[in-house]
Amino acid sequence: MNQSLRLLIVILPILILVFFAKVLLLDEDIKFSNFESKNFPAFELNDLNGDPVKALSLDGIKLVNVWASWCITCLVEHPFLTKLGEKNIQIIGLNYKDSDFKANAWLEKHGNPYLFSIYDPRGDLAFDLGVTGAPESYLIVNNQVVGHIQGEMNQTKWETIFLPLITNAKQGS
Amino acid sequence: MIKKSFILFSFFILSPPVFNQMVYEFEDSLQEKRFYSLISEIRCPKCTSGSIASSDAPVSRDLKNKVYELVLDGSTDMEIKTYVSERFGNFSDYRPSLEGPNYFLWFGPFIFLALMLAIFFVKRRV
Repeated sequence: MNQSLRLLIVILPILILVFFAKVLLLDEDIKFSNFESKNFPAFELNDLNGDPVKALSLDGIKLVNVWASWCITCLVEHPFLTKLGEKNIQIIGLNYKDSDFKANAWLEKHGNPYLFSIYDPRGDLAFDLGVTGAPESYLIVNNQVVGHIQGEMNQTKWETIFLPLITNAKQGS
Repeated sequence: MIKKSFILFSFFILSPPVFNQMVYEFEDSLQEKRFYSLISEIRCPKCTSGSIASSDAPVSRDLKNKVYELVLDGSTDMEIKTYVSERFGNFSDYRPSLEGPNYFLWFGPFIFLALMLAIFFVKRRV
């Protein structure tokens, strides 16, 4: 009894240390709340050209990427998004708290991987989606939000978080 | 000299942060009390170790404005918290509701304490 207790006193701190070391060294976001898929929120907005956006255009598998011309990390993920676009992934931009003039100039300068970008200068749609800043990305399957990534999108996140969801969605349909 | 220092002084007075903060006006003191207790109980989604009351992140400002709107509209505290957690997740509530895995969150420490006390007394008897 006594001996096993003594052993516990030695082992327990080691286990706790290993646990925290693991959590600290893990290079991915740990979600504290379960992500539950929900319907894409209703909205009435225009795209960056001033044409109204129809909710129907969110059918099928779409990547919605929140971006802005003032957002520095958006520049970091831009090449990866361009690469995804070239692989026929349909990406829709959500231009967040920006001016259309600056946003269009940004696309002109850095290239446009988006089918179109929803213009959300006050962040109304973004608020309903639960956007905390830019960049963020959502995976939409037939108007359902099924996945959410905060921060920069990259190869690792794409492969570990969104690709399995896409495979799932394709098997389900 | 006086003119110069006056101009310099006016820069501080007229600097944008002064106008950055929205002033919230309420119909009665109960609304005001509810608003301030709500914003101290909703977690900032961007800076997750503080409440939206303590944060000036753009998303926190939006949240505060929304909470303000809902309080004026007559929503209950519960409705407002649900409204926020539907968008930003259960994680947004600093006082998690008593359901599902949250039971462990609330009572875990007491279970742990009881366990430790039990071990302590068992050990003392031996």
